[in-house]
Amino acid sequence: MKEYQLGEFEEIVLLTVAILHDDAYGVSIKEDIETRLKRTVSVSALQTALRRMEKKGYLKSEFGEATAIRGGKRKRYFKVTKTGKAALDYSKETRMKLWSAIPDVSFEYSKAWISNGLLPLPGLPNS
Amino acid sequence: MDKQRPTPPSWSTKFLAWFLKEDYYEDVQGDLEEEFQLKANGSSIIRAKRWYAWQIIRLFKPSMIKELEAQNSIEKETTMFKNYFKIGLRNLWKYKSSTVINVIGLSTGIAAFVLIALFVQDEISYDRHHEHARDIYRVTVKNYTTDGDVSRQWAFASAGHASRLKEDYSEITHATRFYAWAFPDLNYGDQEFLSEQVVFCDPDALEIFSFEFIEGSAETAFPDIYSLVLTRSKAVKIFGTDWQEKGIIGETVTLSRDGNEAPFKITGVMEDMPDQQHFHFDYLAPIRFVEMIMGEDVIKNVGGNYNWLTYIRTSSGADIPNLTKDANDEFWDKYIGQFQSGADARDFYDFEFQPLLDIHLTSNLEGEYETNGSIDQVYIFSVVGLLLLLVACVNYMNIATSHYSRRMKEVGVRKVIGAFKSSLVKQFLSESLLVVVISVPLAIILIILALPYLNDFVGKQLIFNPLIQTDILIGLIVLMIMVSSMAGLYPALFLSKINLVQALKGEQSMNSSKWNFRSFLVTFQYIVTIGLIFAIGVIESQMSFIRNSDPGFDRERMVSLSLPRGDYSNETFRSELLKHPNIEKAAFSSRIPTGRLADNWGSRFFKGDSAIATNFRLPVVTVDKHFLDTYGIDVLAGENFRDGMETNLQQDTVVAGYYIINKAAAQALGFKDPNEIVGKKLGYGPSTGRIVGVMEDFHFESLYSPIVPTLFLTRDRYRRISLKLRPENIRESLDHIESVYAQFDPDTDANYRFVDDLFNEQYQQEERLGSMIKVFAAIAILIGCLGLIGMVGFIIETKLKEIGVRKVLGASSGSIWMIISNRFLILIGIAFVLGLPLAYWFMNDWLENFVYRTSVSVVLIFMPAIVAAILTLLAIAYQTLKATKVNPVECLKDE
Repeated sequence: MKEYQLGEFEEIVLLTVAILHDDAYGVSIKEDIETRLKRTVSVSALQTALRRMEKKGYLKSEFGEATAIRGGKRKRYFKVTKTGKAALDYSKETRMKLWSAIPDVSFEYSKAWISNGLLPLPGLPNS
Repeated sequence: MDKQRPTPPSWSTKFLAWFLKEDYYEDVQGDLEEEFQLKANGSSIIRAKRWYAWQIIRLFKPSMIKELEAQNSIEKETTMFKNYFKIGLRNLWKYKSSTVINVIGLSTGIAAFVLIALFVQDEISYDRHHEHARDIYRVTVKNYTTDGDVSRQWAFASAGHASRLKEDYSEITHATRFYAWAFPDLNYGDQEFLSEQVVFCDPDALEIFSFEFIEGSAETAFPDIYSLVLTRSKAVKIFGTDWQEKGIIGETVTLSRDGNEAPFKITGVMEDMPDQQHFHFDYLAPIRFVEMIMGEDVIKNVGGNYNWLTYIRTSSGADIPNLTKDANDEFWDKYIGQFQSGADARDFYDFEFQPLLDIHLTSNLEGEYETNGSIDQVYIFSVVGLLLLLVACVNYMNIATSHYSRRMKEVGVRKVIGAFKSSLVKQFLSESLLVVVISVPLAIILIILALPYLNDFVGKQLIFNPLIQTDILIGLIVLMIMVSSMAGLYPALFLSKINLVQALKGEQSMNSSKWNFRSFLVTFQYIVTIGLIFAIGVIESQMSFIRNSDPGFDRERMVSLSLPRGDYSNETFRSELLKHPNIEKAAFSSRIPTGRLADNWGSRFFKGDSAIATNFRLPVVTVDKHFLDTYGIDVLAGENFRDGMETNLQQDTVVAGYYIINKAAAQALGFKDPNEIVGKKLGYGPSTGRIVGVMEDFHFESLYSPIVPTLFLTRDRYRRISLKLRPENIRESLDHIESVYAQFDPDTDANYRFVDDLFNEQYQQEERLGSMIKVFAAIAILIGCLGLIGMVGFIIETKLKEIGVRKVLGASSGSIWMIISNRFLILIGIAFVLGLPLAYWFMNDWLENFVYRTSVSVVLIFMPAIVAAILTLLAIAYQTLKATKVNPVECLKDE
């Protein structure tokens, strides 16, 4: 299943496009990632990821409406394709497999940190 | 909502449109624009713009850039440029002589320009390193005569000015005085350092100027009056190279003068003051110390006694013209009011606050602390530097356009094949770039070779290393682009507009008798040459004028040396020296002519019983009774110091000393006839004395400054002895001096100097700068001549057929020479008329700087044009002879 490979940033972008559903275009995707994940995203990185995934067939795009604030330029709306959805599912699945394979001991030392209040509590793996 | 919408930087957008895949451009640019608007409304526009540009720069990466195959034009361009360079290189190789001329011209031109730029940059960087440089002013005082003319403007102020100005005007936040308290001796342990330049200043000094502390700090520098801050090199001198390990802070040294001494604690060590500063002090100590020694009367003084170098720092943005006006309106009334004569003091004094940054280049007042640079020099150098560069460029233009007959066919063929005019322009521009690219490395080598000489010449430490100094590197690149476009643009435009049909027919499109842009260029070349030759002539004649002027004292076979240390009677030392038959005369003094008149104790002139402080500076030299005779200075009125005066003085109940003043001093005190002032009472320093004689004026200081009022007095403390030798066997006399010196002071050597050497040294700096200008001007002239020779060569080559025909018809070489020369002589005539007034105006300005100056002679005016004409005629003669020697058949047969 090599064709479903997704980079970390690509995965985030793909998920965000999915979240935004009908309103996923450059600025909104960028804003969403920035507010949700508290990280700054450069236009360059975002465009690279979008175009690459479009080429892979995870995303499709079409021009939308133009607004004054955009200097009369049209928006390009992105949508997750079926392949894209499959890639997301695949990536989630592989994560799950890995999570469930971790023996409980691995968390012990981090639990100690948490009980001391130094680290925040982790979410439960299968919730 | 109708507000002007902020727009993102358009160059970024253009750049984006240029490289971004067309398919992506619309929405990506839209996204960027949208977010830019959000950011511009949210935070600052500048930040939004920066963000916008930065995002675009980051988009510039392979996956976003248009496919290279689509960039058809770029590829075509690069191929064409390859071709241009190939053809360019072939042409350079084919016409070696013009290539050599161009490369030599451009590389020397660039090298000289860069060297001059380094010098100019250094000159204009003086005092800029002080943090508050822009808010620092020097307090200078103008003195007016009763007629309301400025008589003197002092670089110094009076003792009482600084504190009162600071108190009265809120704009003045800091004020300090610097006072070099007559060179005390410094003792540390058993070491003794004689006559150290200790400068006393107010604590504010350290807040006005940014002196860099190595040990201690500006805040802890002056805890009490016995504090001493010294420079690194003095620390090394006194405490040795390991002074830093020794921890010299808190060490005690002793300063002594006139038998008094005081212990000083070292409180700080400063970095040596940078070269680019208009004063250099080795020691700083609190001025309160001097004030306490001198007493309140001296410190309160607000009129005259200008010995206190005074600086103020104002609050930033203070209105200085206004401040000056207020100070002049109020200060003199408030603190002096009226003189005893009833005149208002304000009519006689004016403050002028000199911006610190202007001092080095523009200030040349009475008693400048150090010799300043001159803005004129900077101008002259800048002009010469620019001219050098221009001449080199014009050379290139001339030679390149002379080539037109050769390139015409090439241009024609290119046009037929479909070259645009713009691509031809590009071609010729890339050729000039090629020449410049070859010249720059050569120029760099020249600069590196010449810089040590230049440094030696101007006494600076200029550095040139483009690998480390990025500003120099960038400057070089900019210069390269500038020179290649300046030199290449005209030939490019000229050659590219050649008419196609004419070009292919091989017809001469340029009628040689037509006035065109090239005639203008040649005229320009001549203007520069004539102007520079004139400048060299004026500088040379001024220099020799100064060199040959009579300073008014005897300096032939005069030897001077510092006195030996130790206890002895001056008279014994003198008589020991005079035992040698070839030592004719000997005289003691504190300073000798060619030195500086730096000591001033302040003077008061008596009218009847009331003393009035003199309103001019009256420096003092202590001399013995043999001094005037030894130096051959005449006494105009009264008498010289003589034996038996001491007894007279003891009987004299009124005065405590006898003075001789020079004629200038007598005049400054208001006595036209020197005889009338003899016997008058004059207060000088701490005591009151009588003027016993008036001597002839002579140049104690160099001829760059006017003769100032001077006072001589006798006193037992001297620093130097001057010896007049007989012409016979001078070596033996010098040996005698050394051996006598060794008897008195076995530890040090007699460091004697010939006074005429010292005299010449006074002018060394100016002479050096003068010769530097001469060297650069000569380079410019040579480059110009080189270009001229090259151009004449080409013109003649294109006229070979004409010459052939003329010869066949019976013309002589001489008449052909005349025909070609004619045109150039006309150009020289035009250049002479245009260039000389310009050069005259410029050089006259330079001459105005000198107090004693030469006049510009007729020879000097016509010589440049004659030199230019002769050079041209020689160049033409050489080329014509070469051309006329060819058998006419050779050049006529191929048609």
